[in-house]
Amino acid sequence: MTDINKNNIDNITENNKDEIKIEVKNLNFNYGDYHLLKDINLFFKKNSVCTILGPSGCGKSSFLRTLNRMNDYTEGSKLTGEVLLDGKNIYSKSVDVVELRRNVGMVFQSPNPFPKTIFENVAFGLKIHGIKNKQFIEERVEKCLKYAGLFDEVKDKLHKNAFSLSGGQQQRLCIARAIATNPSVLLMDEPTAYLDPAATATILDLIADFKKFYTIIIVSHNIQQAGRISDYSGFFLDGELIEFSKSGDFFTRPKDKRTENFITNRF
Amino acid sequence: MAETDNHKKTGDPNNYFPVNKSYIKRKKIYNRIAYGFAASAFILGAFPVFHIIYSALIIGYKYLNWRFVSTLPTGFPIGAKGGILNAIVGDLYLVVIASCLAVPLGIGSGLYLSLFGKQRTNSVIRLLNELMIGIPSVVWGIMGFYIFSTNAGLGFHFGFSALAGGLTLGFIMTPIVTLLTEQAVHRIPASYIEGALAMGATKWQATKSVIVKAAMGGIFTAVLLGVLNIIGQTAPLLFTNYYNTGLPTGITGPGGAVGDIAMLIFIYIHEPSHILHYKAETAVVVLLFFVFALDIGMRLISWLTVKIFEMF
Repeated sequence: MTDINKNNIDNITENNKDEIKIEVKNLNFNYGDYHLLKDINLFFKKNSVCTILGPSGCGKSSFLRTLNRMNDYTEGSKLTGEVLLDGKNIYSKSVDVVELRRNVGMVFQSPNPFPKTIFENVAFGLKIHGIKNKQFIEERVEKCLKYAGLFDEVKDKLHKNAFSLSGGQQQRLCIARAIATNPSVLLMDEPTAYLDPAATATILDLIADFKKFYTIIIVSHNIQQAGRISDYSGFFLDGELIEFSKSGDFFTRPKDKRTENFITNRF
Repeated sequence: MAETDNHKKTGDPNNYFPVNKSYIKRKKIYNRIAYGFAASAFILGAFPVFHIIYSALIIGYKYLNWRFVSTLPTGFPIGAKGGILNAIVGDLYLVVIASCLAVPLGIGSGLYLSLFGKQRTNSVIRLLNELMIGIPSVVWGIMGFYIFSTNAGLGFHFGFSALAGGLTLGFIMTPIVTLLTEQAVHRIPASYIEGALAMGATKWQATKSVIVKAAMGGIFTAVLLGVLNIIGQTAPLLFTNYYNTGLPTGITGPGGAVGDIAMLIFIYIHEPSHILHYKAETAVVVLLFFVFALDIGMRLISWLTVKIFEMF
């Protein structure tokens, strides 16, 4: 299947090389003796939505976490290969992890607002990067909440605890928080897994909207969602990238039998 | 096993669900036995507490008045007249000095263990910490005597004083605060710290502005239990502070020794005087009251702090 990967990558490369935001080269990730990610090669294009699909435990979340170095804190893990963000390897020693994570935002599976007020949740990302100008912070918080489609719902209770919001609102607050630092890439780890259909629909609309500002990479096991919002789709199985291609081809003409089985719900 | 032919004719008539009637009877009995055991364990465990409160009140109520907590002991033998103000003030000195050492050390090591340390070093530190909790308090007393009271150890030479006693108590308090702080931080969802790190916070920023605030209630409890543990210690004070029937004039050297309620009880009980025996029981009531008040007070403070911190 490595051949299939290479073919896919070549196709995209031929299209346009400047449009590539993240390039993953020969990425291997070990956790203890367990080979979690096996020789991953793929591209993410600028201002596109990519979905990584796969059954539980296939390594898709771990893969996402290698893109902003959240795996740094996992003890006993080892990573080889390269992740190039705008052509620079994020694992090289000169890269500042703090700046990398400002540039690569992340939204988690379950909404995880901090035990602070709604305002402080969004302002946190600005404050930890040393921004003290109150007016700037207020404007940016309002802007981000508006982007996340949450401002009208919370404008009267900005200084109430974030836990007073519903699950869907909390997740949108987390999105507002993630974009407050003005990242160019957004990583989303099953952002709608714990939400009801209405809240899910709102988030998916947001994601489709966000494409114009950010490169978005979503991990999901929901095939319908992936088909609806993503430009590119990838399929992980047992730590290997089985297939990665344009969503249209991916869902209608999968090249690999295993991908076909997965998207027709035979797993 | 007595498998019976009884079965419920529900659902699919071709399948049947075998019902073991005697087992159903037995499992209900087991449930009752377990409940009874748990309830009686609680009653047996709580009995000493109620007994102490009851007997201390029955014997000690005679002297329980405002004078008892507001005057210094006088008369002969000393304490036959007057109250226990020296011991109350002394406990305040000891708790403050011990907390000055144990709160930063304990919370610091607790945070290190739960957030910064590597697994292998952590397990060694945890083991040492638990060992420290297990060291008898009299051994701490001897250590405190050697290090703080005499010239022999590190040359502090504080004599028998509040500082020597308080620091020794601080060493007893530290491992408890460490253990409970670590547990308090562990109860916080990992997603908080991940969320903060993913936004580019350093570990210290995440700790200071998210973790410590979220764990504030638990950390307060850690300090509270540490204080409650040292407030009743006598053995370490035997070697480092002993007792003062008056108010201290300093915290080191001659005149630096302070009274202490637990120590006072120990001393009064050994005196051949009924009055002092009664007064010892009254002191028990006062000590229990302080423990109770401290508990309520700290809970209130922790509740308020959590409420206030939620706003920022």
